[in-house]
Amino acid sequence: MVNVRRYRLVRNIVLATMTAVLLAGMLVPFPRIDDILGQTHRNLFFHVPLWFALMAGMGVSAWHAYRYLKTGDLVHDLRSNEAARVAFAFGLMGIVTGMFWARATWYESAGLWWNNDPKQLMAATQLMVYAAYFVLRGSLDEPVRRARLASAYNLFAAILVPLLLYVVPRQMESLHPGAEGNPAFSNLTAPAMRLVLYPAFATFIGLFWVIYTQRVRIALLERRSEPDL
Amino acid sequence: MLRAALAVFRKDLRQELRRRVAVNTLVVFALATVLVVYFATVRAPLDGRAHAALLWVIVVFAASVGLGRAFTQEVEQGTDLLLRQHVPPGAVYAGKLLFTLLLTGVLGGVAAGVYVLVVGVGVPEPLLLAATLALGGAGLAAATTLLSALIARAQGGAALLPVLLFPVLVPLLLAAVRLTRAALDGGFGWTGTQDGFVTLGAFLGLVVLGAILLFEYVWDE
Repeated sequence: MVNVRRYRLVRNIVLATMTAVLLAGMLVPFPRIDDILGQTHRNLFFHVPLWFALMAGMGVSAWHAYRYLKTGDLVHDLRSNEAARVAFAFGLMGIVTGMFWARATWYESAGLWWNNDPKQLMAATQLMVYAAYFVLRGSLDEPVRRARLASAYNLFAAILVPLLLYVVPRQMESLHPGAEGNPAFSNLTAPAMRLVLYPAFATFIGLFWVIYTQRVRIALLERRSEPDL
Repeated sequence: MLRAALAVFRKDLRQELRRRVAVNTLVVFALATVLVVYFATVRAPLDGRAHAALLWVIVVFAASVGLGRAFTQEVEQGTDLLLRQHVPPGAVYAGKLLFTLLLTGVLGGVAAGVYVLVVGVGVPEPLLLAATLALGGAGLAAATTLLSALIARAQGGAALLPVLLFPVLVPLLLAAVRLTRAALDGGFGWTGTQDGFVTLGAFLGLVVLGAILLFEYVWDE
């Protein structure tokens, strides 16, 4: 199912580039352009790629849900589930890094951790949708029915994601960069940061791939040892 | 197809007229919740925003309690097999959706009417409120119908419906509460409401699209 040599190659590349991204992200002195951001602009290398990894993971999950409904092969359902779980973890980290960043830049003096910013609300809602997906899986015993219904809910949620992420936040006021009337982030930070940011995108998506394939292998082995499950 | 959908609708309607379980549950639940809200907020000065939020919380909770029966009932009575054999899946969804729309209409009318009367809220823009309830209710009904088919065979099915329903309803709720607030506060009329109606319409469209694509997988055994 999984090509082990390819897996090792990607894993080693991810290990190397993740080390480089961490070191460069923390240590390289970038010029500060915006006074409010200060050194917190380094969070760019983690917060944004985490969201990219979440989106990639949700995409993989929805794709395998679709493949399951088309083919009826339970391996696709297993992959869909594992992709959703790993992506969920990335999304949680995306929210937490966002909370720290927002506290430092938006409302330090107010002592708040949560501002009900539309971006925060929508992100939390998206994670709630996938939490509901896990609850649904837990309440269905029979593997084929579980796979079918969970895949259907997964795709139903995927259909509504554009509404959550792109339509509704544009109708509410937000402090998030890139929202209506706010400058895009590239105007606030030094151009040199792109040299770290772009590799960071690939690295975090690669990290998702490494964890995801590893979990799929474990799940396949578990299924082989207990064929009835 | 259309005839089959209407047949499913008529069957549900006839069954409902005999026992009136769903309508009674919805209406009594809505009434009881309005009373709870009234006692909890007696003499508290609430603004239009709070009233709009409370009204939609009542509607959504009543829907998650009373509208999820459409498919569980078939499974409990063992009639889902007959339905599956004689009616194409799209017609089943359409028929159940029609019936759920009817129930949601009753629910929205009763909940909003009693809320306005009992809690004592002025409605400067009744047409705006009605339009919001209609379009929001349609989206709510479409989502509930699809999800109640999904949970018909799950363990603890009834309790699962709100868990699956509420997160996907967030876009609808945001828009519906904003529109309802505009209707209760008045002053601006219909200006500035098209964003909300676009969201409600997009939600309804996406849910129906999802149902068209996915219902046969949810329904087939």
